[in-house]
Order: sequence, then C-alpha cells, then structure tokens
Amino acid sequence: MSLKEYTVLLGEFFRFGCFTFGGGWSIIAQMQQLYVEKKKTLTSQELLDLTSVAKSLPGVMISNVAMLYGYRVGGLPGGLICVFGMCFPPMLVLIVISFFYQAFRTNYWVMAAMEGMQAAVVPIILGAAVGLAKGSVQYPPCYAIVAICLGLYLFTSVNPIVLVLIGVVSGLIVGTVYAGKEAKKHGAA
Amino acid sequence: MVLLKLYWSFLLIGFGSFGGLSMIPQISNEVLGHGWMTVDQVTDIVAIAEMTPGPLGLNCATFAGMQAAGIPGAIAANLGTLTPSLTLCALAAVCFQRFKDSSVMQRILVGVRPACFGMVLGVLISLSMSNYFLAGSVHIPSVIIGIVDAVLLLKFKVSIPKLLILSALSGLLIFGVLGFA
Repeated sequence: MSLKEYTVLLGEFFRFGCFTFGGGWSIIAQMQQLYVEKKKTLTSQELLDLTSVAKSLPGVMISNVAMLYGYRVGGLPGGLICVFGMCFPPMLVLIVISFFYQAFRTNYWVMAAMEGMQAAVVPIILGAAVGLAKGSVQYPPCYAIVAICLGLYLFTSVNPIVLVLIGVVSGLIVGTVYAGKEAKKHGAA
Repeated sequence: MVLLKLYWSFLLIGFGSFGGLSMIPQISNEVLGHGWMTVDQVTDIVAIAEMTPGPLGLNCATFAGMQAAGIPGAIAANLGTLTPSLTLCALAAVCFQRFKDSSVMQRILVGVRPACFGMVLGVLISLSMSNYFLAGSVHIPSVIIGIVDAVLLLKFKVSIPKLLILSALSGLLIFGVLGFA
C-alpha cells in the first residue's frame, strides 16, 4: 500500500470514529455503506466474516473490526492505522467533555439533539441489516441458523461467542453436506 | 505509576469482556476499587458514553483516565482497552487472512454468517424496543424521525454521517424548540 492509500484509510476510519453512535454496530453500517455499496471493495459476506471474528474475540468490537479490516487491506500497519484512526475522535471528544460533563449531561439542547440522534440508530442498523442480508444465507438451512440465533439473542442472555460457536458447528455440518451434494451433481454431469 | 495501573486495569477489562454493556460491572469494580471514580461518576459516564461517539469501553477508559491522571491517564487507559485488538485480534487477522480460503474455513463461515446476521437482527429488535418505547408507550416523535431516516437511508442513500447530523437537527427542533417531551 502507498502512503497515499494509508492516508485515505486513516481518513475513512477517523470519519467512522466521529459517527459511531449507538454502540459498535453503527460502524458496521458505515463500512457497509462505504465499502460494500459505494466502493465495492468488500462483499457483504466478507463484512459479515470480519464482524463475526471481531465479535468472538475479547475487547471492544469496533477496534477489533478496524484491526481485521485494516490488516486485510494494508497488513499490520493498516490495522494499526484503522484502530487509531477510529479511536482518536471519541477520545478527543470525551477528553474535552470530561471538563464539564455535568453541565453537558443535563444541558437542555444537548439532550434534545441526542434524542434526535438516538432515533437514527435503529434505521442505521436496519440499513446494515438490509445490506448484509444478501451475504448471510448460502443454503436453505441457513435460515434456521438465523432464526435460532435471533431467538437466543432476544430471549436469553447468552454470550455472543456462543452464537458464533453455534454458527461454526452448524456451518461445518451444513457446509459439508452441501459440498457433498454439489460434488455429486458435478460428478453426474 | 498511576499510568501503569490505569493501563493494567483497562487491559484486564478489555481481555475480560466482549464489549458493550457487559463491560460495566468490571469497569465499575476497577475504577471504584482504585478510587478513580465515585459511584455517581460511573452512572454519569455510562450516560455520557451513550451521548458521545465511540464505544462504551473506550469512553469509560477516557473518562476514568482523565479523572485519575489527566490526558496521559486517558491515553494509558485507552491503550489498555485496545490491547486485545492490537494483540489477540491482530493475530486472529493474520490467521484469518491465511486460512479464509481453506475448505474447512469456507464451511465454517457458511454457518457463522447467518449466526452473525441473526445477532444483527436481534440488536435491531432490542434497540427498537428501547429507543421507541418509553415508559410503556410508543414515543411518536422518535418514531417519525426514525421512519424519515429509514427512507432517507434506504431509498435516497443518504450517508450515515449526514443522517446523524440531520437527526440531531430534527431533535433540536422537535424536542428543543417545539418542546415535545
């Protein structure tokens, strides 16, 4: 990667960092919008892969995603650039706010703006979900995996890593069965 | 010395948690134990972390670091929280790039992608409940902003930063100027 490409990457993740509201998922939404839809440098399947790996490792999900994406496009320096690019804006904002956080927290206008932004979080994640839907289901049984993990997420307090593990096991089964079927089909033809 | 302690505490928090609200018990243990923050401040920071950009874990690190040792403290605590990403996740990135095209990994991903998508849907539903239903009833102004945002995003492909700025402005207008509760 050239210096210019690294600078672009830094700028992109700095911007993601400025607009990650409502938890880590809004960065997935932003990456979906920029890399999958606009630049087409990433497929929705690949973004789901990065998200799953990030979610099953300890630590902050968004910096894990930043590391995984950065490494993918620019090796270790790329990973470091993405992590720092994304974490710098929130840190800067909070350093400033920490000097007058009580006034900030109770300010009428701040609260009003925040309420508006909070209403935007669901549509943003909806946008990500619509974009990711394409890449998520390869074979029919995958719909069942979606349903099971959705149910477990909503109705139990099971750790996300358990859901990913369910995915690993069922993927090995479903993937092997369908790989066998496809091999047979090709063999017959 | 306090910088090392901050780094170490947040390193433990980083390695011991999987992000989001699950970090709070551990964070409050560490920062209260060391006397870096009071119970009231922990409550404040959770609220503020949701109001400012960035994930909860990093925002708590910045805030606790600032309280304990100013800007160097904030940096030390952030580095601690980021250490899992910079070590374990970097290692995972190397391995994943190497093995992602192997047939076993391809099969695993066939199942992992729908699992992850199920999780996204779960987040979507639980956030809809908490953001649009307040005190047992539908919060109409928020729902309207949400619907307008969804149309702008899905139909008109408005970028997410623009969408957030627009929503903040509508919040100022609807909740601030017009005074809807």
